Amino acid sequence: MQQAIPPPTEGTQRTKTKTKGSNDLIKQQRMWGWFFLSPWIIGFLAFTIVPMIASLVFSFMEFNLARPDEIQWIGLDNYRNLFNDPLFGVSLAVTFRFAIISLPIGMILPIAIAALMNSEYLIGKRFFRTLFYMPYIVPIVSAVYIWQGMLGTETGWLNRVLEWWFGVEGPRWLDSTTWIYPALVIMGLWGIGNAYLITLASMQGVPTQLYEAAKVDGATALRRFYSITLPMISPVVFFNLILSVIGLLRYFEVPFILKSGTGQPGQSTLFYNIHFYKTTFVFLDMGYGSTLAWVLFAITMVLTILLFATARYWVYYASEENVF
Amino acid sequence: MRKLSRSVFFIVLLLLSIAPAMAQDTVNLVWYVGLGTGGAPEQREVQEQVVADWNAANPDIQVEIVIVDNAVAVETLATLIATGEAPDIVGPVGNAGSAAFAGNFLDIEPHLETLGYDAYAEFPAEAVDFYRTSEGLIGLPLANFPAFLFYRPGLFDEAGLDYPPSAYGDPYMLEGEEVEWNIDTMSTVAQILTVDENGFDATEDEFDASGIIQWGFVNQWAGAGAMRQNATLHGAGSLIDADGNAQFPDNWRDAFQWFHDAQWSGYFMPNAAQEGSDLLAAGNPFASGNVAMAQSHLWYTCCLEDTEWDAAALPSYNGEITARLHADTFRILNSTENPEAAVEFLTFLVGEASLDLLSVYGGMPARPDDQQAFFDGLDERYTQGVNWDVVRDSLNYPDVPSHEEPLPNNNKANDRLDSFLSLLRSEESVDVQAEIDLLIADLQAIYDE
Repeated sequence: MQQAIPPPTEGTQRTKTKTKGSNDLIKQQRMWGWFFLSPWIIGFLAFTIVPMIASLVFSFMEFNLARPDEIQWIGLDNYRNLFNDPLFGVSLAVTFRFAIISLPIGMILPIAIAALMNSEYLIGKRFFRTLFYMPYIVPIVSAVYIWQGMLGTETGWLNRVLEWWFGVEGPRWLDSTTWIYPALVIMGLWGIGNAYLITLASMQGVPTQLYEAAKVDGATALRRFYSITLPMISPVVFFNLILSVIGLLRYFEVPFILKSGTGQPGQSTLFYNIHFYKTTFVFLDMGYGSTLAWVLFAITMVLTILLFATARYWVYYASEENVF
Repeated sequence: MRKLSRSVFFIVLLLLSIAPAMAQDTVNLVWYVGLGTGGAPEQREVQEQVVADWNAANPDIQVEIVIVDNAVAVETLATLIATGEAPDIVGPVGNAGSAAFAGNFLDIEPHLETLGYDAYAEFPAEAVDFYRTSEGLIGLPLANFPAFLFYRPGLFDEAGLDYPPSAYGDPYMLEGEEVEWNIDTMSTVAQILTVDENGFDATEDEFDASGIIQWGFVNQWAGAGAMRQNATLHGAGSLIDADGNAQFPDNWRDAFQWFHDAQWSGYFMPNAAQEGSDLLAAGNPFASGNVAMAQSHLWYTCCLEDTEWDAAALPSYNGEITARLHADTFRILNSTENPEAAVEFLTFLVGEASLDLLSVYGGMPARPDDQQAFFDGLDERYTQGVNWDVVRDSLNYPDVPSHEEPLPNNNKANDRLDSFLSLLRSEESVDVQAEIDLLIADLQAIYDE
């Protein structure tokens, strides 16, 4: 015998009404969500996406602001011009030369300082932690001017100290094509506060049981650092490495402030971004400037992908495998 | 009420329809200031007054002045040109300041003819022809700034040396002998005037090059953007040949070898680090009082606060004297929709308004008749009695071609020249001739872009 289908109860009707009401509410919430997000979205479109697309288009154009009559589509000529531009190679060489000196120091020093700050034997940890972080909060323009005074050849503090204490004539830190790189590295040390702080936080997160077990097994402090600390903080080291590489490729402010964007002495501070800035805003060549910008993007992308590809061989993620 | 509204509507409509026609009777010009001098408060005031005077007297040609900070003037003008909002007239500006816009200037000669204005009747012919380029006649003379030798008599007295010649062609008395006032003589004198902290001069064996407190010579403010200014003591030259290729004249090869040696083996010219030090007023060496001689332009009289200096003749090289020349004027952009009105305003600026403007720009009037009043004004500031005759005479030895001549891909080419100069100023162990060869190759690539 076929059972009659019962008529909808009051409860079912209430559920449907409630579901419809919930959908309306969700729609309304979504709308408000988009509304409140809209200033950022508009800003992102207007100041990031549209300029990016525009610069990509410009990179295929002859586009000099001083010669608007000559604006035209030239295909890949700007990209071909990279091989004829004598300053392109120079600026890349300057950037990588500085990176080779600066990157190891910028990676090792934060780890060393963090290890020191994490040491159980250090007295006045809070004081030193603050002291090492403090230079990071100095505005970059002020920092460059301070270092400019300290590294001056004739009247700089550093050279005076070298002369008074050691009887040595100090180098022309800021006016020599050789000594400018150590000078820039020294200035850059004021910027390691962030990397050191993240590394320190990571070190403090290493389980103490690992050290205790290693100590019981007779491992030395150096062995514990090499076999426990370094692998455990390797994700943070990797993070710092990625940021450092990107930071070096977009290195601009310090040489720009220090040498007014001239790239001097000689062409020793003609970093890639200084060349890009000059091409675009001094030589007014928007087309070729855009090309330089996109090439930098490509280089950064390739290096980042390469670093990520190597990560599996040396970066240890505790969540992916058993510690022991 | 409804009728009234309708009447008001029609009146407004009528006014709107005839407004453009009324506006068409008035030509509007924009005068862009900032590429050179003109941005200082006292200059703004005078320029604005000049515009107000013009507008009051010429209701059919109304001028608006736009004054832009010099630091961003090039980019701003480039943007205005690119967006079709270019001004009509720009300046005051020299050759160097306007070189980035070469190709954008109007040949004013046909419009001068239309106006019946005879430039050669107003100015010396050389001064007018100074503004002839491949674009035609692109300006009328306003102000000249010849280079000459600034020197400090007190430092010469201390060293027991005669002062440099007060007139071109005069000899110099060095150690009792009459010699030609040439580069070699000046270098020797400059070395004697270069003194270390122990009182030894650069010609003595005991001289300590690491402790110099006084230098013999400097090319004042000839750094960024002015590489070619450092070569003209050795004569005029051009970095581009007739076919548009890069070249480096032999006399300029000598000039830059001398320039490098003067800093690193003769020690009488400060290098980059020394010039930037407090001892040399952080980049204003002659004003520091610690440099005996400087080559600079008349515009440098703007910024000398003391009266312990005088003017003398520049030395010769291979028997020829060259006193490089700077000249400022106004230029009209070829995009102007009102060329004739713009040229008419230009003739007003270099004519009736020129003395007012030059009083704040600090330039020697291009009109010979106006020059005496200019120098009288300078005499009131510099009471020591400066030898202005030698300054006037410097105009007879201009560098032709000009060291400020535009180069292909001008900004980038000049930037490469600057890096060459800074290398010579920063590095002792530089093979100057090899660097010049490298520079020529780079310039050729930059020209070819």
